[in-house]
Amino acid sequence: MAETSPSRVTYDFVTRAIARTLGNPGKGYFALLAAAVALLGVGIVCLLFLLRYGLGLAGYSHPVYWAVYITCFVFWVGIAHSGTLISAILFLFRSGWRTAVYRTAEAMTVFAVMTAGLFPLIHIGRQWYFYWLIPYPNERGLWPNFKSPLIWDEFAIGTYFTVSTVFLIMGLIPDIAAVRDVATGWRKKLYAITALGWRGTNEQWRHYARGYLYLAALATPLVLSVHSVVSWDFAMAIVPGWHATIFAPYFVAGAIYSGVALVITLLVPIRKLFRLEDLITVHHFENLAKLCLLTGMIVGYAYCVEYFTAWFGGHAAEQAAFWYRAFGPFWWASWTMIICNAFLPLLLWRKTIRTSILALFVISIFVNIGMWFERFVIIVESLAGEPFERFANATYNPTWADWGIMAGSFGWFFMWFLLFVKNFPAVSISEVKEVLPAPQRGKARVS
Amino acid sequence: MDRRRFLTVLGATGGAAAAASACDIHPEPTEHLVPYTVPPENQVPGIATYYATTCRECAAGCGLHAKVREGRVVKLEGNPESPINQGRLCSRGQAGLQGLYNPDRVTDPMARGPNGEWQKLSWEDAIGRLQAKVKEARGKGIAFVTGLESGAFGELVDAWMKELGGRHVTYEPFAFEALREGNRLAFGTPAIPWYDFANARYIVSFGADFMETWLSPVGYQNGFTRAHAFEGGRDGSMAKFVSVAPRLSLTGMSADEWIAAKPGTEFMLALAMAQVILAERLAPTPADARGLERLLPAPQQVATLVGMEARDIRRLSREFAASKGGLAVAGGVATHYGSGAHVLAASVNLLNYVAGQVGKTVKFGPNHALEAAGSFKQLTDLVGDMSAGKVAVLLVHGANPAHSLPAAFSQALGRVGYRVSFSSYLDETAAASDLVLPDLHPLEQWNDSRPRTGVYALQQPVMQPVFPNARHSGDVLLQASGRASSFREYLQVRWRVLHQRYGRGREFADFWSDAVQHGGVYSDAPVQTVRLVPGIAQQLGGLAGTGGVSEKHVLIVFPSIALHDGRGANKPWLQELPDPVSKITWHGWVEVHPETAAKSQLANGDMLLLTSPYGAVRAPVWITPGVRPDVLAVPSGQGHKAYGRYAKDRSFNAFEVLSDQPTDFGGRAFAVGVTVRTTGDHRRLATVEGDAREQGRDIIEVLPLAKARELKRGAHPFAEEETPAYARKALEGWAEAQHEKASLGNYAGEHPRWAMAIDLAKCTGCSACVTACYAENNLATVGEELVTRRRQMSWLRIERYYTGGGGGGHPVGALVTPMLCQQCGNAPCEPVCPVYAAYHTPDGLNGQVYNRCVGTRYCANNCPYKVRYFNWYNYAEQGGEWESWPDPLNMLLNPDVTVREKGVMEKCTFCVQRIRGAQNRARLEDRNVQDGDITPACAQACPSEAIVFGDLHDKTSRVAALAHDPRGYHVLAGLNTQPAITYLAKVVHGAVAEA
Repeated sequence: MAETSPSRVTYDFVTRAIARTLGNPGKGYFALLAAAVALLGVGIVCLLFLLRYGLGLAGYSHPVYWAVYITCFVFWVGIAHSGTLISAILFLFRSGWRTAVYRTAEAMTVFAVMTAGLFPLIHIGRQWYFYWLIPYPNERGLWPNFKSPLIWDEFAIGTYFTVSTVFLIMGLIPDIAAVRDVATGWRKKLYAITALGWRGTNEQWRHYARGYLYLAALATPLVLSVHSVVSWDFAMAIVPGWHATIFAPYFVAGAIYSGVALVITLLVPIRKLFRLEDLITVHHFENLAKLCLLTGMIVGYAYCVEYFTAWFGGHAAEQAAFWYRAFGPFWWASWTMIICNAFLPLLLWRKTIRTSILALFVISIFVNIGMWFERFVIIVESLAGEPFERFANATYNPTWADWGIMAGSFGWFFMWFLLFVKNFPAVSISEVKEVLPAPQRGKARVS
Repeated sequence: MDRRRFLTVLGATGGAAAAASACDIHPEPTEHLVPYTVPPENQVPGIATYYATTCRECAAGCGLHAKVREGRVVKLEGNPESPINQGRLCSRGQAGLQGLYNPDRVTDPMARGPNGEWQKLSWEDAIGRLQAKVKEARGKGIAFVTGLESGAFGELVDAWMKELGGRHVTYEPFAFEALREGNRLAFGTPAIPWYDFANARYIVSFGADFMETWLSPVGYQNGFTRAHAFEGGRDGSMAKFVSVAPRLSLTGMSADEWIAAKPGTEFMLALAMAQVILAERLAPTPADARGLERLLPAPQQVATLVGMEARDIRRLSREFAASKGGLAVAGGVATHYGSGAHVLAASVNLLNYVAGQVGKTVKFGPNHALEAAGSFKQLTDLVGDMSAGKVAVLLVHGANPAHSLPAAFSQALGRVGYRVSFSSYLDETAAASDLVLPDLHPLEQWNDSRPRTGVYALQQPVMQPVFPNARHSGDVLLQASGRASSFREYLQVRWRVLHQRYGRGREFADFWSDAVQHGGVYSDAPVQTVRLVPGIAQQLGGLAGTGGVSEKHVLIVFPSIALHDGRGANKPWLQELPDPVSKITWHGWVEVHPETAAKSQLANGDMLLLTSPYGAVRAPVWITPGVRPDVLAVPSGQGHKAYGRYAKDRSFNAFEVLSDQPTDFGGRAFAVGVTVRTTGDHRRLATVEGDAREQGRDIIEVLPLAKARELKRGAHPFAEEETPAYARKALEGWAEAQHEKASLGNYAGEHPRWAMAIDLAKCTGCSACVTACYAENNLATVGEELVTRRRQMSWLRIERYYTGGGGGGHPVGALVTPMLCQQCGNAPCEPVCPVYAAYHTPDGLNGQVYNRCVGTRYCANNCPYKVRYFNWYNYAEQGGEWESWPDPLNMLLNPDVTVREKGVMEKCTFCVQRIRGAQNRARLEDRNVQDGDITPACAQACPSEAIVFGDLHDKTSRVAALAHDPRGYHVLAGLNTQPAITYLAKVVHGAVAEA
């Protein structure tokens, strides 16, 4: 960080630059927020219809019993992965460059989990009984079935949501305190409460640093576990195309891949709008791009392994499932996925592309699309192809209820995100300062 | 969805959600049940009463047992005492219930008002009008058109018409005129004999769809299976069945050999076969037929015309004769051509005769009731008179000629002075009437019929009329004709004659109540000898070499299995029943051979305009290898312009392209030359079929006969290792733990393992089981739109896979299998359910607790058999868009089975209500459940007796024995699901074609 930051980036500069992002929002901001809320409104209307008439309004068919909603669920859970990776794992590895981007990634994580968590509730047939999935003491003495991967899922997502929220809030404390000191009006009250009495004393800093370290250590396994568990929703089933041992690492890599891609997608406009070019530099983007390249290649490898195992395993149903994927009626979805996720990121081998913000932005959007299709391909195509019971295979056509609620989920996510970046520092003030050269007093300088 | 609904939903759900929480969206509130204050005698709530009666859905006259609960019929089952159907019942028969409770029934007598609107009348007024009009019309022409009535009602109509100087025309759209004419030609009698399929050893069907609509489909299918099924120990089982027809019908799908002879040349094949048998002296030919071979064509003379090899004709003839139990039948599409159809019937008679089978497998004497049906010519004569203004009053009962003869009859109807309909529904004919006098449903009325000579079937009212202001047409006629008695008394007078013959010295009252209880009087009619009409061979032989349909595209209209001539079209069970061949529901289609389709670049669902000289229809293409390339085939039954909500404006009326002139034998031509034009339109077929090929998944196993015969006890040709050795140890512990868990809920102290065996050598794919399941388990019908999205709820489906036809030189054939929940011992659906809605019952069922289900649908994803079905909507919501049982259709719901709510998964339960019922009865009687106490609805209906149910742990049970049959296998055994259903491999003559 230090070596790439222009020398004018000082402690003071950082505080001012970041505090400026919290200033009075302009018309553009409200327009974006209104768009997000409108999208959310569309989703809510669709959901009300779904509740009133039933899941039949969505495009499901027999045997495609999971479709766009579960696709969105896995997509959003995947998005949520880069946050903890950047804040916890890279923290433990002492990667200095994370400081400029981790807050955005963490916020994204929390909101993505909030979004993802809605889908299992939306997609079940009797949404009003969702709480039956939760183990709570009841007079019937009934517990959920702990053998069901869906229950594991619930715990994995629940834990992840808790930890990532705590992580986000904890990281915010010193920054909120800093903003509190300059804020006025209702915001001052808000920050006064959320700063939890932070005064920046030595003792507080010592406890804080220790606490942050432990939390990071605790959160690290989650990065790997959550999406592994999500992948077991599929891998534990006997559906060809789902039932594969590679699913856990494959899903984790994919999740980080999509998460990092969305971080890039979000950071580019934030950097531009909030004029944070000095804090979030091309160097940061390049590092994110490298992470993308790495996980993208793991994902590409996983695709190869899937097809290879299908062929090499010699299981007729498995082979039929993958044949259907590549050449069935949804071939376009499969090839979109492969091109966006496995081929496009190979461009990142070139430094000129890695360091071109525009190219990165475009590639990251394609990766997001590709990753959404990856889940669609895995979920819908494996079911629609129905390799065992040939007579039962069927096609699938999503309806307005699918697209509407999916759009609503984007509205929901961006609403929270927009509210967050205007009300809380989107870049960590304190941690960016950590990697800056200390304010120069005399010639002494410790880097 | 209109604006109003949009706003309502937004307001209602949004408001509720905003006001409280999502918890406010509740299931429907429970209605209060009011108990009987004075309980009726002989009526124990919760205990069903069974009444014997007779099915009137077609002319076969099968015996029924009507299951009545708390005064309502809730299910129709076959009467095991009936010699017609042996306790079995087809889909159409079972769906009679939906005619009874049909929401579109006419509830009151009605007449056209001055502006053409319907006005309700009192019965006095209505009958008064009828009397007045009839009186007025005396001498100016009165005609009464009825369906086939072989009993008291028909006699009453006859008598009344005689009194009035009118005429009585019985009209059945498919009236087998060719068969009757062929019998008259060959044997001098227009009678339709009884065909003894059960004792046949070699069956050749020339188009006869004897499992579908031909004469007595349930009984014939039952007999066919007895002959054709494979029974390891029984010598001479496994008769061979050859189907000669231009399309592969349901009947043809069971054939060991399908010969798609050129349409119109089938009779040459029959004659050539007779020639070979005579020339080679293969059979004990009766003396009067010996030496006829010189009059008949030799195989090489006709082979090219027929489109087969001469040596194949010889082979068939030799096999036919050598079987010493040959049976050739003619009918269906092969007797539907405009000319020469009766020639085929006569030729087939000749074949049976020279083979010495007439009197053995073809029995004149116990003749079929259809011999009494009128001919198409009688109807067209009437239509001619109507057009000429010679009919002043036309009365119609049990027939809908305005649908089956659309243009001509409707036009002629306009020239009739006064039109009276006795229909229970506003069908096309009733809708064009001046007066509608709604009849009671056959399940609500007294009547009788004579399905065949010697069998007198009684119909009794099995419940109070659903619509109390409908009235038995018999009573109406008696009143209108000035007779004092009720129809029941009229009927009894007739039965006094039978009492004298069959009473065996009992009082009439005893005889009567005995007949009512057993559904009629059953006796065997003696077999009569018939002799070949001299000169017939010469006459038929002279025709060989001519004939054959010459048009480029022949369109064949075949009777729909479910809808028949269209009478089934307003019954949602029948509309939603996938056609056993095409698997299409709710609409018609045109069958096109893949080659023809490729030539014209047609795809499934492309709309074709089929134009004949008489009319045109637009039909969606269904490409199938089961039809000749030069033939197009469409089913009858759809395209109603009236009749009710399920039938109206649905697809096309195939009768519109047919000639309205009778053929030379007085019948109707159901084949017509057409020009075909693509319209550019397309529709999604409402089909339930995914892949038409099995792709080597071994869902249906097939054995060649020779191999099947060699199988010894304990052989396992299909054994697949269900548990690999390395996993067995781990699984043992798992199974034990499962068992321990299961015993926690064990209340009986014993663990049966309910299981099923399905013999694919018997299953024909007729789909009677499917309708039985709908009836027994309150399955929702979802309608055409939802079927196109594969949302049908059919717990039991019949899968039909085509075989052969590609490379490898195998001929085209089809395999069928019922697919239902396999009640796996190691079920993939159970562990994935997060709330234990899917769980293992102590007696080995995969239970599904509807109340507990939240609808994650994980179980359905994980089910490799795809037999779990989800309630996408609330199909029981009154007035809802997807309502499945509009009032009073909901009265047919089985009170023993929950109607499932929106958002829950459902599936086959092995009719758990019947299992518990039998267990409760056994408990009350302090005994164990015996093998055979429990019969699931599917097994009960199956005309082929292909399904056996029982306890696998009871080593003496039939199912336990069948589970160890060497032909037995489990579908997808490699998945280690350990299903409770054992399929017994199909056995075929000849080689096995790859799917």
